[in-house]
Amino acid sequence: MNAMLKRPMKTLMAVGVSLGLAVGFSATVSASDWKPTKAVEYIAPANPGGGWDTLVRTTANVIRAEGLSDQNFAAINVPGGGGAIAWAQVARDSKNDHKLFATSPPIILVPLSGTSRFNHKDFTPIARLITDYSIVLVRADSPYQTVTDLFDAIKSNSRLSVGGGSAAGSMDHIAIAGAASVAGLKASEVNYIAFSGGGEAMTNLLGGHVEAVITGAGESLGQLEGTQLRALAVSSPERIQGALSSVPTFQEQGVDYTFDIWRGVMGPKDMSPEAVTYYQDLFAKMMETDSWTEATTRLGWLDAYQNSEEFGVFLDEQLEQFSAVLGELGLLRQ
Amino acid sequence: MESLNDLIYGFSIALDPMNLMYVFIGVFAGTLIGMLPGLGPISALALMIPITFNMSPASGLILMSGVYYGAIFGGSTSSILLNAPGVAGTVATSFDGYPMAKQGLAGKALAIAAYASFVGGTISVVGLMLIAPLLSKVAVSFGPAEYFALMALGLTAVVSLSDKSLVKGLIAAVIGVMISIMGIDLQTGTERYTFDSLNMLEGIDFLVVALGIFALAEVFYMLLKASNKPQERNVIGSLKLSKNEVKEIAAPIGRSSILGFFTGVLPGAGATIGSFLGYSMEKRLAKDGDTFGKGNIKGVAAPEAANNAACGGSFVPLLTLGVPGSGTTAVLLGALLVMGVTPGPMMLEQRPDVFWGVIASMYIGNIFLLVLNLPLIPYIARILDAPRPLLLALILIFCMIGVYGISFSTFDLLMLLLFGLVGLVMRLYGFPAAPLILGLILGALMEESMRRALQISGGEWSIFIDKPISLSLLAIALFSLTAPLIKSAIKRARSA
Repeated sequence: MNAMLKRPMKTLMAVGVSLGLAVGFSATVSASDWKPTKAVEYIAPANPGGGWDTLVRTTANVIRAEGLSDQNFAAINVPGGGGAIAWAQVARDSKNDHKLFATSPPIILVPLSGTSRFNHKDFTPIARLITDYSIVLVRADSPYQTVTDLFDAIKSNSRLSVGGGSAAGSMDHIAIAGAASVAGLKASEVNYIAFSGGGEAMTNLLGGHVEAVITGAGESLGQLEGTQLRALAVSSPERIQGALSSVPTFQEQGVDYTFDIWRGVMGPKDMSPEAVTYYQDLFAKMMETDSWTEATTRLGWLDAYQNSEEFGVFLDEQLEQFSAVLGELGLLRQ
Repeated sequence: MESLNDLIYGFSIALDPMNLMYVFIGVFAGTLIGMLPGLGPISALALMIPITFNMSPASGLILMSGVYYGAIFGGSTSSILLNAPGVAGTVATSFDGYPMAKQGLAGKALAIAAYASFVGGTISVVGLMLIAPLLSKVAVSFGPAEYFALMALGLTAVVSLSDKSLVKGLIAAVIGVMISIMGIDLQTGTERYTFDSLNMLEGIDFLVVALGIFALAEVFYMLLKASNKPQERNVIGSLKLSKNEVKEIAAPIGRSSILGFFTGVLPGAGATIGSFLGYSMEKRLAKDGDTFGKGNIKGVAAPEAANNAACGGSFVPLLTLGVPGSGTTAVLLGALLVMGVTPGPMMLEQRPDVFWGVIASMYIGNIFLLVLNLPLIPYIARILDAPRPLLLALILIFCMIGVYGISFSTFDLLMLLLFGLVGLVMRLYGFPAAPLILGLILGALMEESMRRALQISGGEWSIFIDKPISLSLLAIALFSLTAPLIKSAIKRARSA
């Protein structure tokens, strides 16, 4: 009889939580002793080497190195569709307490541009962890010295190509189109070339196939150590400390624009509240460790923790903000 | 000579007893993983990341790259013995390797594969050592237009891969291209040929098709042609090569190694494309080109040299630009980042221990592989001695495990079955399988590159002929398409 009772109880709880999260229900389910009982599938919805992948691998390693979990967090790459392919896979797997994935603005942008059947509401927010910023790169010998030079050139030459590591209508495209529109151009004037990753975009910049590239600041660190590329602007409100401290912000150059590439972790829909609590607390604990501080310094990340509930509210706000921006840019397809 | 000093420094790292052990473990594990059909190095490497986390970056990369080139080395075994490619890069090896095994020359085919792999691997390490920084310029000189031209050139190999009927070969190639573009289109996010199925959103994995069309189709075919006659004993044959045979394969191995290396250097091209290019190049150059596909030793040597060389070449963009050229090197890049090394233009200066240590370890690893594999050949080849019902069941199981290991999806198992049937039908009606595989490998990349190039040029098709590299590649493609036509026209004119 126990078994018979248990199932409807579980279903009820799951429904309750998913409803609760949507209206800002605080996950006050007692911090029970739930723990993962097997390896956690930890998905980066892109090829290795990019922002999501680095997040997944770094957090998994800090968790392991600090002994925060008995179970392995196994990094898995599911590339394609700007994330949509991985989301479809996770969406098929609701209620799985042993599956997580890295997330960032595309979870909102991609569905808005009509290319994913799933949006952030189809998943369970776990925690927001960090933020990164967009950076505009050109070759060292490029004639453009400031981001205004670049925008002026785009105004007079509609073919001038700007590469990025994500699909059209997705993060990198929005980041540069949004900046262009603030700088007085039409968003559609930017000839954005979509590559399948920031790395590929930078190779094409090095080879002179595109004139500029927009990508994540963290991703560009290795390249900027060399002498072949130069950064024109970074989308942070203030200069980023460390290796990128010499790169001016958009705002310093008279373009009143910032763009955050926040990153966090989500799970499948209807994840059990005990598991959500466990994971959000685990990530909070992780961010207090020395290994984490060491990693974020190296990768140029800035801590921006939010727990499951706060993250859910934040995601809804981002949805509103991005739909407004996308609509203004004429890229809203939904 | 500066690189000699660097290399000695590299050996001082690679010869450290612990690192030596890592090379050995890496290549040994890699060989085993490569031998199992479908199970590729990517998943093995991803599983290894936790193990390497506490190692020094040099040791970690030495171990992981050992798994990578070990898998490519070992991948030829199941291609030759079972017609089931062990890794994607060894599909072309089965074209002649499997016929050789059926003729009782399995031992020789495996030995040739081992020698060719060794030479290809070693030549690519030399290339990596001497001209890696220079080559990174070659890698970046390939933009979308150049990639399109390279893929177009690759596709002309359809002509040489369709043995009897060119029309049937072209039909197969078109089907291959169509399969390659299934799923979500990266540039627009549009779904193509998905039939509204979530399972199709991700497209169909290359190995599912390859294992179906080759291995499973072979199983079906054998079942169909099953006879009640007592099974003739499979002979493994001698491993020894005659002097003439060595002479015969020396040049193809050399040429294919160099070709494969350069293909590997290009991000996105890699071992699979390299082995196909090597195979079709040798088929065209050989005087006995028409015996390719029927058990020609050059048809084993060329793709094996090329895929191992390409594997080495793929380390060029990784170590000098910090850009992964393939799925496998992308995992390596991820692992390096996690270990605190940021590969990029400054890597040579900042982490010479990683760079030179890995290169030196590759010399050692290749020798290990040769010494490890040659004595094992007679034992591994015994699998052919297994009674036929058992052998067929084994192939079936290996393929299933391999496919399930890629995606953990039962849908893919059904797809494997479907492609097995497609392969059987193709075989019964004389459609060659190789062009389909070629179309599948090149199709999506070709289309993507073309659209990107046109977007950059503002829709001007001239971008493909304005760029010298792209123009020359397209010219070679045109030449290789028309040369046989011209040749036969001349022949006809003469005989008339």
